[in-house]
Amino acid sequence: MIVAKRKPLGEIAEMLASYKKVTVIGCRSCVAICLAGGEKEVKMLVSALKIRNRKEGKRQDFEGLVVERQCEKEWVKEVEDKILGSDITLSMACSLGAQTIGDMYPKHLTFPGLNTGIFGVPEEQGVWSEKCVGCGDCIIHTTGGICPISRCAKSMLNGPCGGSADRKCEVNLEVECAWAAIYDRLKLQNRLDLIERITPAKDWSTSHSGGRRVFVREDAKLTQHQKKGKEVVL
Amino acid sequence: MTDRRPKIVGFCCEKHGADAAVLAARSGKHIDASVRLVQVPCTGRIDGIHLLSALEEGADAVFVLGCLEKNCYYDTGSIEGRKRVGYVKQVLAEAGIEKERVEMFNAASTNAWAFPEAAAKMVEVAKRLGPIGGGEK
Amino acid sequence: MKAMVQVVLCRCCIEVSKLLDMERLQKVASESNNVVSTVAVDAVCDGRNLAPVMAEAKLKEVDRAVVLACHKKDISPAVVKAYRRAGVNEYLVEFVNIREEVVLPHMGDHESAQKKAETKLRAAISRAVLLSPLEKLTEQMATRNVVIIGAGVAGQAAASEAARTGAHTILLEKTGRSLKAPGVILPHSQVVGAKGYGGNFTLRIRAGEKSEDLGAAAVVVATGGGWTSLRGPLAKAVKDAMPLYRFYEVLLSGSPPNGPVVIVDTPDPVGKTVRVQDYAWDETLETVIELKKKHPDTLVTVVFQEMRAFGLSELAYKEAADIGVRFVRYDRNGSPKVDPKQPNTLTVKDLSLGEVLSIRFGTLVFASIPPNEDNKLLADALRISMTADGGTRRGSIQRWPVTTPKPGVFVCGSALFPKSKAEAKVEGQAAGAMAGAFVMRGVVEYGGVVAEVTQDKCSACLTCVRTCPYEAPFIGTASKAEIRIQACQGCGMCVGICPSKAIELRNYTDEQIMTETRTLLGGDF
Repeated sequence: MIVAKRKPLGEIAEMLASYKKVTVIGCRSCVAICLAGGEKEVKMLVSALKIRNRKEGKRQDFEGLVVERQCEKEWVKEVEDKILGSDITLSMACSLGAQTIGDMYPKHLTFPGLNTGIFGVPEEQGVWSEKCVGCGDCIIHTTGGICPISRCAKSMLNGPCGGSADRKCEVNLEVECAWAAIYDRLKLQNRLDLIERITPAKDWSTSHSGGRRVFVREDAKLTQHQKKGKEVVL
Repeated sequence: MTDRRPKIVGFCCEKHGADAAVLAARSGKHIDASVRLVQVPCTGRIDGIHLLSALEEGADAVFVLGCLEKNCYYDTGSIEGRKRVGYVKQVLAEAGIEKERVEMFNAASTNAWAFPEAAAKMVEVAKRLGPIGGGEK
Repeated sequence: MKAMVQVVLCRCCIEVSKLLDMERLQKVASESNNVVSTVAVDAVCDGRNLAPVMAEAKLKEVDRAVVLACHKKDISPAVVKAYRRAGVNEYLVEFVNIREEVVLPHMGDHESAQKKAETKLRAAISRAVLLSPLEKLTEQMATRNVVIIGAGVAGQAAASEAARTGAHTILLEKTGRSLKAPGVILPHSQVVGAKGYGGNFTLRIRAGEKSEDLGAAAVVVATGGGWTSLRGPLAKAVKDAMPLYRFYEVLLSGSPPNGPVVIVDTPDPVGKTVRVQDYAWDETLETVIELKKKHPDTLVTVVFQEMRAFGLSELAYKEAADIGVRFVRYDRNGSPKVDPKQPNTLTVKDLSLGEVLSIRFGTLVFASIPPNEDNKLLADALRISMTADGGTRRGSIQRWPVTTPKPGVFVCGSALFPKSKAEAKVEGQAAGAMAGAFVMRGVVEYGGVVAEVTQDKCSACLTCVRTCPYEAPFIGTASKAEIRIQACQGCGMCVGICPSKAIELRNYTDEQIMTETRTLLGGDF
C-alpha cells in the first residue's frame, strides 16, 4: 500500500496563502487506510485551516470533498466542477492523485497536501514500514522472502556487510539488519546454501531510471476502435 | 447583544464524566457559567473534528472529560479519547494555534473535584489566551 | 415530516424555578416551530405529574420530547416509560440536566443561568429534531449454560451459586481430580477457542484427545494461580523446593518438615523470568504459625522483599515473630541466592542488619503464586485482555469487580491475582451469581444506540476492527465493514476513529453532536 503523511499545516497554509477559493480533495484508497488523506483528515484539515485564518484575520473559502480513487480519471471527473470552480485544488491523496488532477486540468493549479512516502506494510495500527522500493525485478525468492533492497540500508545484494553487529544495522542501531533476518529465515527454511551464493550486480534498468516507467497489459488495453467516441461516465 | 467571553465547550462521557459533573454540582461546587457541556456516550466517540469545529464555531477552549483510563466504562474509551485530543493538539500546534486550548481530563464518578478543576483550568486558559483572532468570528 | 416536539420543564420541587424564569424558558421553547407543546410540571420524577403531560402529548400528537430536569439516569426510566405508553419512541426523548448543569453550579448568577438554560434548551431542541427512532431487539439465548473454566475453590463456589439461579453449570477442569460441584464436570478439558458474544458463545473445548463445540450463554474464568509453574533460578538450584500450598498439605498430613524451613517470596527474586503478581502472605503467616505450633523446634525463616498482610492478618505477623519465626527482609541488590553446589544454603543480604546471611535449610518453600500460564491461552481463546502481570484483566473495579470488559465473561479468584482461599470463594460466589443472573434473563438485548456502517464509504481498512474492545465490527462478505450489533455496546470508538467517516453512531452522529455544540456556542452568557 502507498503510505503518505500529511504535510505540516503551516506549509500547507503557506502554499495556499494567496488563493481565495480552495478545494481540498481526499481519496478513499491507500491514503485513507494509512490515515493521511481520508474524509476525516480532509475535514480536520479544512477546519484547522479555517481556525488558523481566523487567528490571522484572513478570509479564504475552503471546501473539502473525497473521491473514491484520485488516481483514476473517472472518479476525478465526478468532481470536475468543484475543481474548476476553485482557484486552487489541494490534493490530499498520494502524488499520483495530485498528478492525475494536474494532468487532467493543466491550467488549473493542483498542490499536494501530503508527502507520499513509501510502499509500506501496516505492522500494527498506526505503524507502517517500508518493505519494497518498486525496483521492478523482484528477487525475494532467493533471500528468504525478505527484500534487501528496501530493508538493508545499503541495499546490498550479498550481505551482511561488516557493519552488521548484534543483528543491528550500523547505519541506524534501532533498525534490524536485513541480512541477519535473511540468514535466520533461510536457516528456518533449510536453504542456507543460498546465502553463500554470490548474486551478481542487479539489472537496475527496471528500476527508477531513464524517466517514468510504464507497465502495460496489452490485452487489457482498449483498441482505438473500442475507444472511439466513448468516454466512461460513472 | 454582546458576545460574551470566554466560551468553553466540554465534551463529557455519559458515564464517569457526566456523573462527576453531577456530583460536583450536588457537592455545591461553583462552575463558571461559560462552560457548555456536550454529552457523548464515551470519549472514544470524540472525533478530532468535533473539537476543531467547536473552536471554529467560536469556542476559546475545548476540553474532554472521560473516565479514568484504567477504569473506563467502555474499557479503552478514554484512552482513545486522549489520543484524539493529542492529535488535535498536534494539528493546532502546526496551524500556529496554542495547543493548550484543547485538553483531556479524566475523572471517576466519585471525584467531585475533577470537573470543577478541569473547568477552572480551561477558563483560566481561555481568559489568558483570549479568543482566537481577537474575537471576530 | 416535521418533527413535533414537546418540551417539559421541571420545576424540580421549585428549586429550578427559584433561580430561573420559567416563563421565559417557555417562550424560548415556543419560538421553535417544531415545538408544539410546552408544559411545566412541579416534579417530573413524580409519576402522578406525568399523566397530564402524556395526555397533552397524545393530544398534540408529539413524536419527540425534550425534558429539562435533573440527571438523566435518575429520571429517564420513569419518563421514558410514560412516553413509550404515549406512543413516543424512547430514543426520541432528549434530557437536559438543567438542575446540575445550570441551577446548582450557577446559584446567585441569575442572568447567566437564565441565558445558559435558554441556550441549553435551544441546543436540545436542535438535537431532538435530528434524532431518529431506534428499537431494542432481543435474541433468545440458545442455552442456559454457564461454563466455568477451572474447578478450584473459586470455580466450585461459582458453580454452586450459578446453579442456585437455575442455570446449567458446566465445569471444565484441567486435571482429572474428582470433585463435588453441581452440574456437569468435564475432566482434562480446556477451552481452545471461542466465537460469539455474551449470551450466545460457542466455545471450542478440548477434552483429552477430542475437541468439540459447546454452547455457552456465559463464561466464568476461574483458572486460579499458576501453582504448578515454578520457574526461576532458585527453583532450578533447589530441585525439591515446593510451593506454599504443597508444603501446607505436607504439614497437615502430620509428617515433620525435613530440616530447617525457609520460605522465600519468589523463585525468581530478580524478576527476570517469572513476574510475581503478589505474595500469599496471609497464608504464609498462617502456615508458619501452624508449623511452629506443631513442631516448635523447627527453625523457620521467612525471606521477603515486602510484606503485605491484609487487614487483621497483620497481627499474625507479630504472633509469628513472637513464637520465634525469623523474618529477613532484602532488596533487589542483595537478593537471595542458592549456589547449586551447595543446594541447602541460601545467602541473602539482610536489609536491616546490613549483613549477608547464610541460612541452611532442609526445605525451601515459595510463597509466591505466579500467574497461571493458561491465562494467556485463555485470553487468546476468549479474546479477553490481560494485566501486565499476566493475570486476567477485569472491567471497571467499582462497578463490576468480577467481570471482564467483555460482556458475558466473568472472572474470579486467583485468575485475577493471588488470593486467599476465603477471598477466592467469595469472588467465585459473586461471579457465579452474576453469571447465573445473566443467563437466566434468557435473552440478549441489543440494538438501540449502536454503530452503523455506510458501506459505500468504507475502505475496509480494518481500523475499526482493531480498535473496538468488543469485536463488534468485522469485514463482511462484501469486503466492507459490518457491525455485529449483538456485540456492539454503543461506545462509538469505531466511529471516532474511522478515517473514511463511514461509521456513524445512531443518535450520536457528527451532525447531531456538532449541531448541539454550535447552538450552545451561539448563546451569550
